[in-house]
Amino acid sequence: MNAEQVLFWLFSVCTLVAASGVIFARNPVASAMSLVATFFFLSGIYVLLWAHTIAALQVLVYAGAIMVLFLFVIMLLSLTDSGPVLHFTPSRIAGGVAVIALFVSLTAVFRKLPTAELTWVGDAAKLKNFGTIQHLGEVMYTQWLFPFEAVSLLLLVAILGAVVVAKPRI
Amino acid sequence: MIQTISTSHYLILAAALFCLGMLGVLIRRNALVVFMCIELMLNATNLTFLAFARERGDDLGHLSAFFIIAVAAAEAAVGLAIVISVFRARGTVNIEEIQSMKH
Amino acid sequence: MIIPHFTLNDFLPVMPVGVLMAAAIVLMLSEVFLTSTTRTYQAIIAALASIVAGGIAVNNAFEPARLVLQGYAVLDPFSSWTTAMVCLGTFLAVLLSAGFLKHRNAERGEFYALMLFAAAGMSLLSLSAEFITLFINLEVLSVATYALTAFLRRGPRPSEAGFKYFILGAFAAALLLYGAALIYGATGATKLVEVSAALPAAFAKSPALVYAGLGLVLAGFAFKVAAVPFHMWTPDVYEGAPTPVTALMSAGVKAAAFVAMVRTFLFLVKGIDPVIPFTVFSLLALLTMVGGNLLALPQRNVKRMLAYSSIAHAGYMLLGVAALFAPKLVEAGAKVGVLTATPLTGTAQDVSVAVYKGLLFYILGYTVTSLGAFGTISALERREDETRGNTWDLERFAGLAQRKPGWAAAMALFMLSLGGVPPTVGFLGKLFLFSAAVDAGLLGLAIVGVLSSVIGVYFYLRVVVYMFMRPAPIDAPAPFRHWTTELALVTSAVLVVGLGILPGTITEWFSRVGMVFGH
Repeated sequence: MNAEQVLFWLFSVCTLVAASGVIFARNPVASAMSLVATFFFLSGIYVLLWAHTIAALQVLVYAGAIMVLFLFVIMLLSLTDSGPVLHFTPSRIAGGVAVIALFVSLTAVFRKLPTAELTWVGDAAKLKNFGTIQHLGEVMYTQWLFPFEAVSLLLLVAILGAVVVAKPRI
Repeated sequence: MIQTISTSHYLILAAALFCLGMLGVLIRRNALVVFMCIELMLNATNLTFLAFARERGDDLGHLSAFFIIAVAAAEAAVGLAIVISVFRARGTVNIEEIQSMKH
Repeated sequence: MIIPHFTLNDFLPVMPVGVLMAAAIVLMLSEVFLTSTTRTYQAIIAALASIVAGGIAVNNAFEPARLVLQGYAVLDPFSSWTTAMVCLGTFLAVLLSAGFLKHRNAERGEFYALMLFAAAGMSLLSLSAEFITLFINLEVLSVATYALTAFLRRGPRPSEAGFKYFILGAFAAALLLYGAALIYGATGATKLVEVSAALPAAFAKSPALVYAGLGLVLAGFAFKVAAVPFHMWTPDVYEGAPTPVTALMSAGVKAAAFVAMVRTFLFLVKGIDPVIPFTVFSLLALLTMVGGNLLALPQRNVKRMLAYSSIAHAGYMLLGVAALFAPKLVEAGAKVGVLTATPLTGTAQDVSVAVYKGLLFYILGYTVTSLGAFGTISALERREDETRGNTWDLERFAGLAQRKPGWAAAMALFMLSLGGVPPTVGFLGKLFLFSAAVDAGLLGLAIVGVLSSVIGVYFYLRVVVYMFMRPAPIDAPAPFRHWTTELALVTSAVLVVGLGILPGTITEWFSRVGMVFGH
């Protein structure tokens, strides 16, 4: 086993354990902390995928900003244990079966994927640029202009929506 | 050939994460936890984009992940505001208890 | 580095969005700088902005179809007409809101701003030609609608509806996005044109991956258009949201999601056995038509009945979508989606165009009718009993004809149109759509559609019977009067009858929609 394999298995097992923690923890604070852990381990996986910029963003935006927001709301509402985690109803059991079926079929699909060799790695210039913040920025500000502007509209709408909805009274 | 972990491994990890998130949305009652599970699903999507991006050697997957993170942040702001307003109106964030509408 | 080059033409399709956004920002700021007590001017600004944006969209509809903004958006009659209809729906919804909110002392500039932002999102969604853009625009529309749903603070219902809508919407978006990720993996592209070009090769390499991606994208859209069996919580959301918002959701949001779905799948079915998408859409249409009507049948709550009815109408629209993918048309080489300004000719082509025309006309008819129907019940709601459960009970409509003949006549008209009775726009919409579907070889499904709409006539007529034949209860509520509400209802009623009798010019315009941008 080389270092990449060791890190992959370490990070992926930790990711899945932490993700299960989100679902099965009784206390919402524990769920939120598990979610932070999931985000950190995932950013490790992103580094293994040579996506350094996105890994950094993952930590800054997700583990930093979004999770602080979550914790802030939990503290604000002073939520504690919320009764039994599992509560079986026929529709939930059906949902669970559907999820398991989805996972089994997706796994079957992915296992059969032809393993592509990373032939593009031979191109030194491409490898040097791959996933760097400079290159991503260049592409974003020259080609992805329309989605970029759409996101700015989305953020404006989200600010307005959040302020309107969170106001105590209208 | 420098790759040792195949794309399939990453994809299966992403599928597992996506399905865990979906399971959480379906079985959990706490609105905040349900919301966290949706974040898990979006993260699984990001992982899928990044895994394919490395296989193909293009940046499209990276940019997609970038935009998805931005959208998730916007969604989080509004979603949490709605959770707060649900709590104000009902004093609980448990989904089954918030059923004032009858069939 | 590629330096982008834009011309003014690139911005044509987003001009209506620009107008809507500018007005929305003005309305947002109006709350900061102008705090007068009367706020009707805000509704007027919003209504005028919708008219201007709709006018620009109609003007755009006569432009030849093409890709714009570096391939992230399209300019074609299909999206332009959708934008125009969305603007019409927003215009009516804004007018309804003015009276509704004033009655509840909740009139705020933010509400109208959010409505215009939602309309901008709908327009953007209908013209997106790339997966990430589509996802972002879907979120613009959704985030604005979540906030609108939870806007009122009267009782627990609005926030509950807002939350359910949020979870459902975010879940659907995540499914759609995961499907897009798999399709990106199979084809290496996110722009629909490039995906379409790369699909046959991807399909040969790993068909399972493509199918998984397509299935997830379809599931995401099915949640958005509330197709059975993806409809759970939709009635709760429709019932809990402020009624003018429900009206906008049932008309505008659904129309935009439908158009985005049609566009996406026109690109994505390349290289796939045409029987598969046809079968899937037919099945969805069947379940949604029959399921929606059957679920609406026992409802005594008129608002909830209209919510189920909107599911049933989505089923009829899905019938049109299924007809687009009819094997008969595909085998005959009907290319609805070519990037040329010259329409193709031939019988199959004519049928294909007729299906598009039927679909668009149906959406138009449903927009004006459902805005009218929800508008009437919004005027009959009393703010005192919002926390009680019987606000929208059938009994509320008893004897309305004696007390308020005008209102009863308008509501009866909308009910007849929803049921598909001539001479209303609802009848013509069904006629165009079903006859086009029969021409495309969907005879069986069209018969099911007609039969299920006969079930529908029962519960629509029940409202009419209550209004005209039952005596009024003593404490019957009087509808509140506000000139904007009345203007909106009169406009809807005139359109319902007018388009039902003289559809001429509009259908002629819609027939040119054959140049939709697609495969």
